[in-house]
Parts: sequence; C-alpha cells; structure tokens
Amino acid sequence: MKETVYIFNSGRIQRKDNTLFFESENGTKKFLPVENIKEIFVFGEVDFNKKTLEFLTTKQIIVHFFNFYDYYVGSFYPREHYNSGYMILKQALAYETTGRRLKIAKSFVEGAAKNSLKILKYYNRRGQNLISIIEEIESYVQEIECQESIETLMHVEGKIKQSYYGAFKNIINNSDFTFEKRTKKPPKDYLNALISFSNSLIYTYCLSEIYQTHLDPRIGFLHSTNFRRFSLNLDIAEIFKPVIGDRTIFAVLNKGIIDSRDFDNNLNGIILKPSGCRKFLEVLQERLNQTIKHSTLKREVSYRRLIRLECYKIEKFLMEDYEYKPFVMDW
Amino acid sequence: MFIILYYDVNEKRCSKMLKKCRAYLQWVQNSVFEGNLTESQLKRLISDLAKIINEEEGDSLIIYKFESQRYTDRIVVGKDKKTDINFI
Repeated sequence: MKETVYIFNSGRIQRKDNTLFFESENGTKKFLPVENIKEIFVFGEVDFNKKTLEFLTTKQIIVHFFNFYDYYVGSFYPREHYNSGYMILKQALAYETTGRRLKIAKSFVEGAAKNSLKILKYYNRRGQNLISIIEEIESYVQEIECQESIETLMHVEGKIKQSYYGAFKNIINNSDFTFEKRTKKPPKDYLNALISFSNSLIYTYCLSEIYQTHLDPRIGFLHSTNFRRFSLNLDIAEIFKPVIGDRTIFAVLNKGIIDSRDFDNNLNGIILKPSGCRKFLEVLQERLNQTIKHSTLKREVSYRRLIRLECYKIEKFLMEDYEYKPFVMDW
Repeated sequence: MFIILYYDVNEKRCSKMLKKCRAYLQWVQNSVFEGNLTESQLKRLISDLAKIINEEEGDSLIIYKFESQRYTDRIVVGKDKKTDINFI
C-alpha cells in the first residue's frame, strides 16, 4: 500500500536525485520515497516548480491543497493515465438515462443511510438511547426506493442527515461539543468545524481513488454534474463519511484526543488549530490503514482500499455487468 | 510487505545505491533502508540495484522481507535516525 504524506511545515518540495526532497523553512531536510507515495496533502506554505509537477505527473501522484483555514482549495490532478473513452461514454450515458442515474443515486443515499444506522445501533447497544432516531431513519430509508426524481431523493437524504446528526449529542460525551444544527462556510461551533474538516478529507481521499480508476470524477450521479467541480467523489464519499469520518470524530472526542483548546474561535467562524488538525489526521490515517475482513473477497482489506473497491463496483455497474450494491458495514 | 535492505559496495558506487534506494525506501542509517513495498516494486528495485552492483569487486546487497510487522520488535539504542515522513 502506497503511503500518504501530510505536509504541515512551510518550505519547498523539489525533485532531487530522481526522488522528492522536502526542505522546510527551519532547515529540516527529508527525502520522500517517490515510488511509494500515493498522494500529498499540503497544509503549509509549500513552494513547487514546474519540474517537480512534471515529475509528480510521471509518478501519478496527486497533490491536495488546503488553505490557512484548512479548507480544501484544490488538487494538482495529473494528466489522466487511465484514459478510457469507452468508460467516459458509459458514464455520461448513465447520467443522461434518467432511470440509471436515479438507480445509482439511490444506492449512494441508501449506503450512507445504512452505514449511519449501523453506527447508531452500535451506540444504542452501548447504552445510549437512540431507538427513536433509528426508527425515524429506518422509515426514511423505506422512502428512498419510491422517489422518482433526484430532487425528492436529495430531500429524503437531507432528512436522514438531519436525524443522524441529531444523534451526535448523545454519542459524544463532551459538553463542549453539542450539536444544534449543521452550519457550514464558516462552521459556527466546534463539532461543525470538525465535521466539515473530516468531510472535506473524505472527498479528497475519494478523488485520489477515482484517479486510480477509469472513472471520470467530473460526472457525478447524486450530485449534479456542473461546470465548476468534481462531483463523483462527493457521491462516493457519502457512503464513507459515516464509516471513516464520523467514527474517527467520535473516537477523537470520546477519547479526549481533541478538545475545545484545539480550536480557534477568534475568527469569523470556528476552525481547527494546526495542532488539532494534525492530531485528527493522525487518527484518521490510522483508521484508513486499519484492515477488516471483507465478506465477499474473504480477505483482509484496509478502509482505504474499500473506497477503491467501491469505484470498481461502479465501473462494473456502468459497463452493465453487475448490479451496484453500496458498501454497508456488516458489524 | 515490510522490507529491510542493506548493502556493502565499493565507495565508487555508494552514492548510486543511496540515490536509487531513497526513491523507494526510507533511509535509516548509512547503507540501511526500511519501508513497505509491493512485490512488483521490490522486483523493480532489485533489478535496478543489480545493474549498479559489481560482484567481482565484492559488492553485496541483502534484503529481508516480512509479510507484516506484527511479530517484529524494533529496538533502538542511541539516536534513532529514522524520522516520520507521513507527517512533516
């Protein structure tokens, strides 16, 4: 498994001796084994030159950039190396065929809802009283199948999300992290800041995985394709937000790894301080490397790998080989 | 799989070995490297290094492969020169 590099320091990254070399402002020098790097997340102020970008392209390494407020800025998305006209055609055709687009969009919502339910049921067994919320979401899940347009489907998804987030205050036993309502751009409380940060990371991991397949990230199904941004990664991320992101949030808060001191609220909204951001990423990376026994593959796969497998399943669906069933945790 | 690699080559070829190994693995000590590679990456690395090595002059390269690090224990006495490269 290739590794992910997170750069928090400011400095310069360059090509040296046919590998990558990072020199930070305070003088630390490090060689990064280029053959074993999957992607680079840049949080600090890092200089690049064209020679480096060319090198990253030949090695198929994606670079994701985050700004001072830890917001996702964009990615250096190297030239597509899995260039399949056939796949793009199939993907676009599925988007344009109403029935097929709706079918796959429903699968994403269903996957997200079922994974959320698994988490709520887990905490319910642990003595948090979540029965009413579970039943509420289960009734919404029934509604998914009979939706006839993307708009109404999005509406059901919104209702599921709202009930699901409502359960967060029961799961997290820290009075600093209460949940009123989901606020974005900028988040208004600690928990919202953490959710926003975690979601934006899941989007980027999904984008990196899509890059390794023949899929085109510009054509999404649940999230409408538009002129501005990648949308397929947002779709796939729906399934993995609860599985990877939210569970990491509960872990860092309930174990006290992150507390209110890790946030900065002197600005317009609330953001994670670099220290908190790093702590969160360390736990998240651990979760991504953690392996589970896959029920159909019958072998150990990491959470990170699950995202790629999801891309392959979508490819199979688009090529009309298989029915697409979203990944649902089976524990 | 987890790899421990070390070499002993003539001074003339030291820097060539160092540069090639640095592209795949993490430097630990002089002429010692560690890291996780796939089977194919390892094959490529070995074939590249084999081109540099000169057997007649007594160069040697030794690689330890481990399926996982589960049953290993890393003991360091003195300064550990291996640094974190995931978070920098």
